[in-house]
Amino acid sequence: MRVLIIDDDPDLRSLLGHYIKQRWQDAAIDEWDPLERDVPGADFPLGSYQALILDYMLGRGDGLEWLAKLKQRPDCPKVLFLTGAGNESIAVRAMKAGADDYQRKQELTRERLLTSLHELTAAESERTVSRELAARMEAHSLGAKVRIPGIKVLRLIGEGGMARVYLASREGDDDPLVVKILRREVLKNKTALQRFMEEYALVERIQSRHVARIYDHGQSEEHAYLVMEFFEGGDLMKRLAGQALDPAEAMRVFRQLMFALGDIHEKGILHRDLKPQNLMFRQDGTLAILDFGIAKHIDAIDRTKEGEVLGTPRYMSPEQVQGRALDLRTDIYSAGVLLYQMLTGQHLFEGETAVEVALHHLNTSPPALPEDLQAYQRLLDKLLEKDREARFRNADEVIGFLARKLEQGSAPADRTMRLH
Amino acid sequence: MDVPSYKVTVARDLEDLIPVFMSNRKKELDTLRVALAAADFEQLRQLGHRMKGVGNSYGFAHVSTLGKQIEDGARSGDRAGLDARIREYADYLAKVEIVYE
Repeated sequence: MRVLIIDDDPDLRSLLGHYIKQRWQDAAIDEWDPLERDVPGADFPLGSYQALILDYMLGRGDGLEWLAKLKQRPDCPKVLFLTGAGNESIAVRAMKAGADDYQRKQELTRERLLTSLHELTAAESERTVSRELAARMEAHSLGAKVRIPGIKVLRLIGEGGMARVYLASREGDDDPLVVKILRREVLKNKTALQRFMEEYALVERIQSRHVARIYDHGQSEEHAYLVMEFFEGGDLMKRLAGQALDPAEAMRVFRQLMFALGDIHEKGILHRDLKPQNLMFRQDGTLAILDFGIAKHIDAIDRTKEGEVLGTPRYMSPEQVQGRALDLRTDIYSAGVLLYQMLTGQHLFEGETAVEVALHHLNTSPPALPEDLQAYQRLLDKLLEKDREARFRNADEVIGFLARKLEQGSAPADRTMRLH
Repeated sequence: MDVPSYKVTVARDLEDLIPVFMSNRKKELDTLRVALAAADFEQLRQLGHRMKGVGNSYGFAHVSTLGKQIEDGARSGDRAGLDARIREYADYLAKVEIVYE
């Protein structure tokens, strides 16, 4: 394996070279400092490398321009493009310019680097690949095969049980988008397919800035897809990173979540699967709810069979655990579980198994907040009532409570107030 | 007054790379000071961007955090903020304790 690294930072070049040599002991690494040398010329033996790692900001040059020049050459190897910029449109431009993969420097780990290089070079360096790698490569190539009018599917960025998620963009601009493609095995399941396609119909009815925008959808014999908004700010899971948020930030996010629930409930839609992975942030910090895959209109025929439980156990309401008919208050409970996690950095309930966690929602009183967060205890108590009759009835009630009890001046909640 | 403690855990196999990494950070600090004195905000932005990119990769998250702040401060021309961040960087480099595991 021969790898060329073009980056203006000698420490990063050393580190990448070190990781590569650790994985492939006989690898030959060549470093190229763009502060000292211009883009490799026509006489440079580019074709002798299996992979090129190219940085975006080269100190005195633009990595995208270098990429475009190098990719014009027929002997250009696979390119892993690195960007230190937080803006995903750079990734879109890089993939459109011919990069075969990209990584954000801030998130670049040994594993990510090696996985990427392995995927880029596996076809040449190995005749057989692991099942896991083969599956990932198949997923990558699926993205390239799917034809969506006006949309270029660029790179696999996530996988869920139902669908694979790709970075994409319109052919006419570089704004990032997401394309969600239903897994082939799920496509055969009529109920799952129906749910996937209904997601578009449901979201189209909501028209709220607190709900992820879906731009297009389609279905053929082989594929079903949604074209959606891309979120530069990532999801709540990433923002939490296993830690508590600052209480003011937690309340800011929670308040936006209540506005979102207000908007979707107003249309008679229950989300039923609120969790950190489904709360996304735009670059300006606004929150939007994602993934209405198991959402339903409150008056619609529920595809959930009697006693069937859909959702994520950590965030399920007691009535959801019991498989009972649901109303708006199920989402209010799940929002309470999320608020607890944002304030404390801990899950509301822990358990060895999903069933154990789910049963806690039915039988175990929520742990009290620590002393310094007591101002929020009453709010949480009322969100997490096991008896939904005693819970907030809807998001408007919660917002009203926030305004009356938590947001008047800087005074903490009235600790003597009776809520019910 | 509390003295901030900076402890960084670095993978054992990177031990050989760390002396050069730290030496480059100290050179970087000198360059930051010179660039600030000359009000060279483009140079400051580039240095901040580089810190942001390389810090986390070696396990020095605070270098990345300061790098982002320096990059942002250079973009907005916030001289006082940049001065504070560069002082903080100097303090960090003087006190950082590296643990290999």
